Amino acid sequence: MTTLLREHAEQQFAVEFDELAQADNRSRPPNWKLSPWAVATYLLGGVLPNGYQIIPKYIGDRRLMEVAIATLATDRALLLLGVPGTAKTWVSEHLAAAVSGDSTALVQGTAGTSEEAVRYGWNYARLLAEGPSLEALVPSPIMRSMEMGKIARLEELTRIPADVQDALITVLSEKTLPIPELNTEIQAQKGFNIIATANDRDRGVNEPSSALKRRFNTVVLPLPATLDEEVSIVQQRVESIGKTLELPAEPPALEEIRRLVTLFRELRNGLTLDGKTKIKSPSGTLSVAEAISVMNNGLALAAHFGDGRLHAQDLAAGLVGAVIKDPVQDRIVWQEYLETVVKERDGWKDLYRACREV
Amino acid sequence: MTSDNPFTLLGIRHHGPGSARSVRHALEELQPDMILVEGPPDAEDLLPLAGQPGMRPPVALLIYLPDQPQRAVYYPFAEFSPEWQAIQYGLRHAVPVRFMDLPQAQRLALPEDSPPDTPDATWQDAQEDAADPPPPTPLLRQDPLSWVAHVTGYGDGERWWEHLIEQRQDNRDVFQAILELMTALRAEATPEPPEPHEALREAFMRKVMRQAQRQGCERIAVVCGAWHVPALLRMPSAKEDDALLKGLPKVKVTATWVPWTHGRLTYASGYGAGIEAPGFYQHLWDTPERVSVGWLSRVAQLLREHDLNASTASVIEAVRLADTLASLRGRALPDLSDLNEATQAVFCAGDSLPLRLIHEQLTVGECLGQIPEATPMLPLQQDLLRLQKRLRLPAEASQRVLELDLRKSNDLERSQMLHRLHLLSIPWGQGERTSGKGTFKENWRLQWKPELAVALIEANVWGNTLVDAATAFTQDRVRHSEQLTELTHLTEQVLLADLPATMGELMTRLQNVAAVTSDIPHLLEALPPLANILRYGNVRQTDTGLVAQVVNGLATRICIGLPAACSALDDEAAQSMFSRLLTFNNALTLLQDDQQLQQWRAVLQRLVRQQGLHGLLAGRGCRLLFEQNELDVAAVEEYMALAISMANEPHSAASWIEGFLHGSGLILLHHEGLWRILDHWVMNLREDAFLPLLPLIRRTFATFSAAERRQMGARLQQGPQQLLDSRNDVDDFEETRGNGVLPLVMQLLGLNEENPSGA
Repeated sequence: MTTLLREHAEQQFAVEFDELAQADNRSRPPNWKLSPWAVATYLLGGVLPNGYQIIPKYIGDRRLMEVAIATLATDRALLLLGVPGTAKTWVSEHLAAAVSGDSTALVQGTAGTSEEAVRYGWNYARLLAEGPSLEALVPSPIMRSMEMGKIARLEELTRIPADVQDALITVLSEKTLPIPELNTEIQAQKGFNIIATANDRDRGVNEPSSALKRRFNTVVLPLPATLDEEVSIVQQRVESIGKTLELPAEPPALEEIRRLVTLFRELRNGLTLDGKTKIKSPSGTLSVAEAISVMNNGLALAAHFGDGRLHAQDLAAGLVGAVIKDPVQDRIVWQEYLETVVKERDGWKDLYRACREV
Repeated sequence: MTSDNPFTLLGIRHHGPGSARSVRHALEELQPDMILVEGPPDAEDLLPLAGQPGMRPPVALLIYLPDQPQRAVYYPFAEFSPEWQAIQYGLRHAVPVRFMDLPQAQRLALPEDSPPDTPDATWQDAQEDAADPPPPTPLLRQDPLSWVAHVTGYGDGERWWEHLIEQRQDNRDVFQAILELMTALRAEATPEPPEPHEALREAFMRKVMRQAQRQGCERIAVVCGAWHVPALLRMPSAKEDDALLKGLPKVKVTATWVPWTHGRLTYASGYGAGIEAPGFYQHLWDTPERVSVGWLSRVAQLLREHDLNASTASVIEAVRLADTLASLRGRALPDLSDLNEATQAVFCAGDSLPLRLIHEQLTVGECLGQIPEATPMLPLQQDLLRLQKRLRLPAEASQRVLELDLRKSNDLERSQMLHRLHLLSIPWGQGERTSGKGTFKENWRLQWKPELAVALIEANVWGNTLVDAATAFTQDRVRHSEQLTELTHLTEQVLLADLPATMGELMTRLQNVAAVTSDIPHLLEALPPLANILRYGNVRQTDTGLVAQVVNGLATRICIGLPAACSALDDEAAQSMFSRLLTFNNALTLLQDDQQLQQWRAVLQRLVRQQGLHGLLAGRGCRLLFEQNELDVAAVEEYMALAISMANEPHSAASWIEGFLHGSGLILLHHEGLWRILDHWVMNLREDAFLPLLPLIRRTFATFSAAERRQMGARLQQGPQQLLDSRNDVDDFEETRGNGVLPLVMQLLGLNEENPSGA
């Protein structure tokens, strides 16, 4: 048993990788640990010819994952785009682990990410003592991946300042990293590529230049496609978080989760689930992650201030807060939704009343 | 096949460019002396028209019952239809071409066959399909080749066909392979619900084949849906088929060519399966080589036309990605979905919106066919002619004014006809303003122009009678309309044109659009006409429940959004909002729905208290509440005093008064307190404020009736003092003069004081 708080994908699923590598007899692009087909099987799950069961890592559209893998097989970089909580980072980690057997070449994009984190820095003690040399160089994860022909990961591309972002252009188009101080360069080995992730809603933060954008193929990861998919994700997460927080409340009934997810989906899509009534959408994302937090919030309320069981009024406070982000426009949207949809729905009376009271 | 067998069976995929190309090669190689094509023999006489210069596909053969034009069957042809290519080959090389399917004269007479072929049904189904993007797997029989392609992993029958062709050198080998495939399929698979009369149709096909053989033809090419090939290969005895076909009922049908569109090719009709991507197929037909490169270049050009970035480098990347995707999915060639996904990832930065543009402009690629002038008259033309005759309203090139009295049934029908034509954008008559009151009169200025005939031909794709065409066209407009005002306008037109069948859809759409509209003025405008419909039900067979639901939703939304929509309005906006509120209020009063009225009063209560609300609206809100007994006189006096107190801008006070009094000043005459507050305010206005306000106040008072104004004037003449005293008892009168009047009064009242005992 490991004592690590969290294992990397290549550690956690080492057995699966072994099995896949054995079963995989298709052609592999240079420096890939698995063939594109096997990578797809690893991500989406399946049964190997010897009967070994591969657990699905990504539940959703198969074709999207195929586009992502095919992109890595050409020499274009991959940009995973999506609203928060759509498994972008998760997919990027598993893709890197499956393709290169290593998901650790990671640059976390923040407003403070500097060019050293993308290219290389210097070991100043050595630089002063010995003068500029390759030994005094501190390579970034991207530079190391170039040398080894692996996949590098770049999280939150749009949070990185624009000038630092543009340092990637040479890397992606020429596949080289010049080191003018030493009058030399690093040329990428075959198999090198970059998977970047970016938040859909933050596009405006540091919109990549069109020169950089042109070097990426973009795959947009959507929110869960069906109610059942989303319900099962929320249920799983709420239960696991409830355990770590050691909340003394009963786990919520499936019915309650279903109701919350229905509400979130309807507002998000601007359409009731039966497809008959259109409604306005509020300005917030209403992502799966928010549904989970509303649920947890309600559970905490029920546990510490209620009778330990989740009731509509425990949910209502968090729910209204999650929906109404803009105090004027969203309030109108929410009221309309309450009056035209929630009010008339069978079995939703308690929720309607609870929300009106808030 | 034996050597003396004259038949070459070419099993094809309807509307398949791959099949079309193969058929053309096969025909050129075979040099047939007779071509049999799966199609309706009823339309055989029209075949020569296909070769005329005015004919440009997509077109369709239309077969209909002359007395019942709504029962009709369409056989659409695109340039890339194998049948079309076979017909063209025959016309070019002077080879006789025959249609060999069971005649529609007999099929339309058969009872069960009609439902799937009536245009209504196909129309509806097709619309539903079109709204639902992922294509359902086609029925095995309708498109067996697509079905096989699906099984082998191709999303599209055409790409699979190409793959098949590329691997085989000889085209006729392909047809042999298809024959074998179909034989196996027909033997093994028991297909879904059996198609009605399949046996009859195939028997008839064999009969036509035998006739051709008897005529001494030696090389007969048979172009038919792949599914039928095995049945035509094994010939049972002629007797057997004749027995099957004997005694079939028959009806009289008429055939003609109609122009068709790419969009309509996507619907299933006539040949059964519709195709999803006519534009893509046209591309496959036009550019047989390097499909992906050509297609993605066209995509790039289209995007550039719409100011979206699409460089040549991106085209190269997209081609590579599509190829890699195809090989990852285990196929040799990328199909349309691979190309689309590559487009999305490379060109559109993951955005799916440009894909919609590509779908509309390229994948479907709207284009309208043309038919030569010599084509027999279309059913819609005939229907209009019949109507014109019946209603005694011939088409004349000169202008004439027509006055209709809608109380007469003949005139009513004329009006409906003109309105329906109007809906179809065929402006034969222009509606004119009528003089005098009354809604039963309508004036039209009629003039028939030649271009209207062209418009009429084009309108035929919507339906074969005026009612059908107007209904289908309006439904389509409803589906594509995003504007609330446009929809309400349509509602009115539909009422005038009496097209009850469109009402359901119109209402649903209206509801959906209203739900996402945040523009309260639009909502306010949409409600009154609907309220009229609901109250007076002046539409026949309208589902009033549906209208009620829409009205209810509208009212609720208006009530929620109104306070926000009324804040911060300038004079002009307030003026238009004022009149909208009035009509809205009238509409609600008309409906007498307690819940709505209650909601409305609650909003009015909020409005009159709202800070910074324009005086006009606040004043009217007060008035409405007072009229509905929600506020008593004391409360109104309070509001009025507040609104026109000296701290307020005189201008806003004047607008409040205008809003409150607009229409009638009777309230002032009846309620002393209000009169006094107003009087006090006017008296205390400074001169520099009074002068600019005078026109405003005058405007308000001008809306009162003359009698009201006279009474007010009289009251003012008495001066403020008398006014105050007017209710007090008057005691200083001269008794003697008063007594002098009494006898006359007594007499008038019939009391005789002088002779109390009577005469």
